[in-house]
Amino acid sequence: MKAQRIVVRIEISTLISRDGKINRRKMDRLAMVLTNLHNSGKQVLVVTSGAIVLGSEKLKLPSLPDTQLEMQATAAVGQAELIRCYQHHFDEYNQIVAQVLLTSDIICYPQRVENTRNTFNALLEMSIIPIINENDPVSTSDIEFDDNYPLALIVADIVQADFIVIKMEMNGKYLIVPKGRHPALVVDGETELQEKLDTYCQVLVHEKIPEKAIFPASIGEIAF
Amino acid sequence: METRNQQDMDYRSVMKNKQKIVVKVGTSSLSYPKGRMNFHSIEKLAYVLSAIRQQGIQVVLVTSGAIGVGAGRLGLTHRPKELARKQALAAVGQAELIKIYQKFFEEYNQTVAQVLLTKDVVTIPSRNQNAKRTLTKLLDMDIIPIINENDTIATYEIEFGDNDTLSAYVASLIKADLLVMLSDIDGLYSADPRTEMSAEIIHSVLEITPELEQLASGAGSSFRTGGMVTKIAAAKICLKDGIDCIISSGADPAIVFDILQGKDVGTHFVAGKINMINHA
Repeated sequence: MKAQRIVVRIEISTLISRDGKINRRKMDRLAMVLTNLHNSGKQVLVVTSGAIVLGSEKLKLPSLPDTQLEMQATAAVGQAELIRCYQHHFDEYNQIVAQVLLTSDIICYPQRVENTRNTFNALLEMSIIPIINENDPVSTSDIEFDDNYPLALIVADIVQADFIVIKMEMNGKYLIVPKGRHPALVVDGETELQEKLDTYCQVLVHEKIPEKAIFPASIGEIAF
Repeated sequence: METRNQQDMDYRSVMKNKQKIVVKVGTSSLSYPKGRMNFHSIEKLAYVLSAIRQQGIQVVLVTSGAIGVGAGRLGLTHRPKELARKQALAAVGQAELIKIYQKFFEEYNQTVAQVLLTKDVVTIPSRNQNAKRTLTKLLDMDIIPIINENDTIATYEIEFGDNDTLSAYVASLIKADLLVMLSDIDGLYSADPRTEMSAEIIHSVLEITPELEQLASGAGSSFRTGGMVTKIAAAKICLKDGIDCIISSGADPAIVFDILQGKDVGTHFVAGKINMINHA
């Protein structure tokens, strides 16, 4: 059975406590579950956001920035904090991570897409989990504040992933979104995520997912 | 070419007025010969740059070393040849590097930011303006931006190719008044110091002539991509934009203090003199 490729989309603010600091225990749990998924034979890529939130915390800003310029500067500070955080927690489980910053206009440049695909393949081959984010400090498109789903979609497309897993902001549950026409699954916690993904993988292995099968174009189009 | 004299010292006097500097640090200044990180050097660099920033001078750091650090982290003993592998190593190494920089700069209460660039930042006007604004904003916030090439995703058409060139473009972009390139060589020599006893450091360069470019391509180590050739090319970009440029040894980052005090270390590519020569 070929390794199932999963793009996990994490919104860091789901892991931030009321005092604005990252909930270490939740982060730790996340790192453990994702590493475990990886260890069980799946290939895992993480699409994260939260650079601006972390940057604001680090800079002790009175509120989140609201101009493009301030967002970009704050993101430059916050991204460094963000990747450090991922590294620290994954390190506990001996899992090496890598940082990949993309601009979403990459889809306009087939050569760059090809190149990035090769890089992701190399990382996955080396058992590394890529932590991917939008390169906000240099991006000229509007900064997507809370929704990195488009980026997760782009990455899923580039690496030809089988699943997108989304950690939902409002209730902290996970949404397993398979490629093609199969329904999405809502799961409760990290333990359930592991089990349900395993099961769904088995189910899908027996179905033939067409080459051209695609993911829903937006969160609104996800069918349950 | 000139030997050390009062003229060289006069050229250096401008160093005391620098307000916005770019410091480029090469792999050799950050790692041991086998590629492992030299924390002592990195810590010293953090100390020196934080102190300079405290004095009211704006500082940008251009770093290298992501691929080497990535190789170290993965226990690889040599640089891979395949592009995808190199890019993968850069992705791992850059994360490690920025983490380490943060850690050390934090000791000196200095906030840093990470900015990864590709060459289209130079060539595409909207990207250019955008990057300039972001960097300027960070500097105004008393933050030290740490810049590297976005090696992980750069393709041929958008790569700078070497960080010497990148650092010159950055200096130009933000209108810095000084670029310091810290290297494994003390400066530009009049001949190959490894083979010529008479080789001396050239203290001041007013114009980059074809002869000088030839000299540079002969001397200095060239197995790393940042040999003297790329440094001269970077200096050329600086001079064209009226930016002073210094090449010096990165063995002790405290040399940057010396440079800013106007001491005659390394080779100084003197801004603003090209027109004077042509009219002499």
